[in-house]
Amino acid sequence: MERLSRRSFVKVAGAATGAAALAAAPPLAHAAAGDDAEEIHPTAGVPEEPVVAYVRDVERGEVTVTAGTVERTYRDRALVRRLLRAGGVK
Amino acid sequence: MSSHREAPAVSQDPVADNADTYAFVSPDDPTTVTIITNYVPLEGPPGGPNFFEFGDDVLYSIYVDNDGDALPEITYQFRFHTTYQNPNTFLYNTGPIGSLADPNWNKRQLYSVSVIRSRASGKTQSHAKDGKGTVLAGNLACPPCNVGPRSTPNYAGLAAAAVHQLPSGETVFAGQRSDGFFVDLGAIFDLGDIRPIQNLHLIPTPASPSVDPLKSMNVHAIAIKVPISKLTKDGSVPSDPMSAIAVLGIWGGASRRKVQVRDGASVKESGPWVQVSRLGNPLFNEVIVPVGHKDRWNALDPIQDAEFVQYVKQPELAKLLPVLYPGAFPNLKGLTADRADLEAILLTGIPSGVIPGFQNFTGKAPADMLRLNVAVPPAKSPNALGVVGGDFAGFPNGRRVFDDVVSIELKAVAGATYPLVAPSYTPDAAIAAVSSYLTPSSDRYQSTFPYLGVPHDGYDTPSS
Repeated sequence: MERLSRRSFVKVAGAATGAAALAAAPPLAHAAAGDDAEEIHPTAGVPEEPVVAYVRDVERGEVTVTAGTVERTYRDRALVRRLLRAGGVK
Repeated sequence: MSSHREAPAVSQDPVADNADTYAFVSPDDPTTVTIITNYVPLEGPPGGPNFFEFGDDVLYSIYVDNDGDALPEITYQFRFHTTYQNPNTFLYNTGPIGSLADPNWNKRQLYSVSVIRSRASGKTQSHAKDGKGTVLAGNLACPPCNVGPRSTPNYAGLAAAAVHQLPSGETVFAGQRSDGFFVDLGAIFDLGDIRPIQNLHLIPTPASPSVDPLKSMNVHAIAIKVPISKLTKDGSVPSDPMSAIAVLGIWGGASRRKVQVRDGASVKESGPWVQVSRLGNPLFNEVIVPVGHKDRWNALDPIQDAEFVQYVKQPELAKLLPVLYPGAFPNLKGLTADRADLEAILLTGIPSGVIPGFQNFTGKAPADMLRLNVAVPPAKSPNALGVVGGDFAGFPNGRRVFDDVVSIELKAVAGATYPLVAPSYTPDAAIAAVSSYLTPSSDRYQSTFPYLGVPHDGYDTPSS
């Protein structure tokens, strides 16, 4: 798998139908603007190799992403804020 | 036990629980080494209808270090997948299973074998290639579990058919076998009791014979027989036991994907492989490492074992024995120095000059690995006490399936091997009484690959 940049990660995540939280994420610029995503019922099952993102450290703005057998951690405070909002975390 | 349910996390995950690791020069094929890693400890033979099997979601690894740096130059990895002939029945088999292709055998498991060869170096073990090795063979059949006389009337034949010769020169087997490990489990975990000397215990009870609860239990074994020339650093078959090239470091491990996502009845996975179990020397994590550190130990690699050296230097069990058997171990009670003998046996190998004609030293870096000197030929009259019993072909020179590792390690921890590094030390006389007091029956093992015996069948075991 190619090395993931933040931009390519979002691209990959968005392309994976039904992937974890970030699959529904709009482009980061949009996220930074603060718009909320639309909550829906899943329209498909979990893909065979889901791309998964989880907030590792809120204070440091760290997000870890797993895709295939690759795991990478990013500092992206805007993404962390958006994930927290999507998860209903105050 | 050796490493059966030895740590809190993996005790909840039997298919990934590396219960025993064995490595020895094959007695019937001495140009080869056989390595066995056992999983699914304490299998009760009648455990149907979903009889025991390997984990389809587990990556099983056998690591070989051939240059003494505690990093693997050769890694064999095994992946399993389960198939059903008929998902519309609750039965494991719908009639007698006469062959590995018999349509009566409903739930079956196949596996692949791959190898990673690398020039490992540095201070950490890379797992970047885990699961991505060169595939040596795929869709290899495991045998069924030994159900009973109606379902598996010729079990030995089924198991023999599941021994596969690979084009690359290795021989493999993966499936149910009789557990070769033996220990009086019920006694040893009842505050360190040793039957039949429980009358000498701090809380005495009348003397009675030792009991072996594992004699009727099965495990799932992954066994591989490899030409020695494929394992040594220079491709040679060493004949000089004093040569460093003759010593291999060997251990097993099991890994799971980092993330699991449950979706109804299915589970999907993502992320790198993460080690959840490992094992080199028997009883290392079980008896040496404190319970609060056992899960971490399983997650680390041998090259990271420096943080556990303190528990080898000052083993808890050596302090317990004089307390549990009052007056029996006065010299051990007074032995407060670091246990360099145990460090050598468990963490570095025994250097040359300690035991005439023998060494299995891999360097000063402490690492829990079995250390096998492949230049030591198989013993013609094996002694289950291995090196302690004068048989250099047995534990701690690798480990054979029948080695009495409980007696060997109990005696060592009790001080029997301390004179190797401190000749003035006199071991306590009570060491003679420290033993497993068990002699497994001969059908527990077999003389040919995979060396562990035919598993107990579920119909006849237990017999009442």
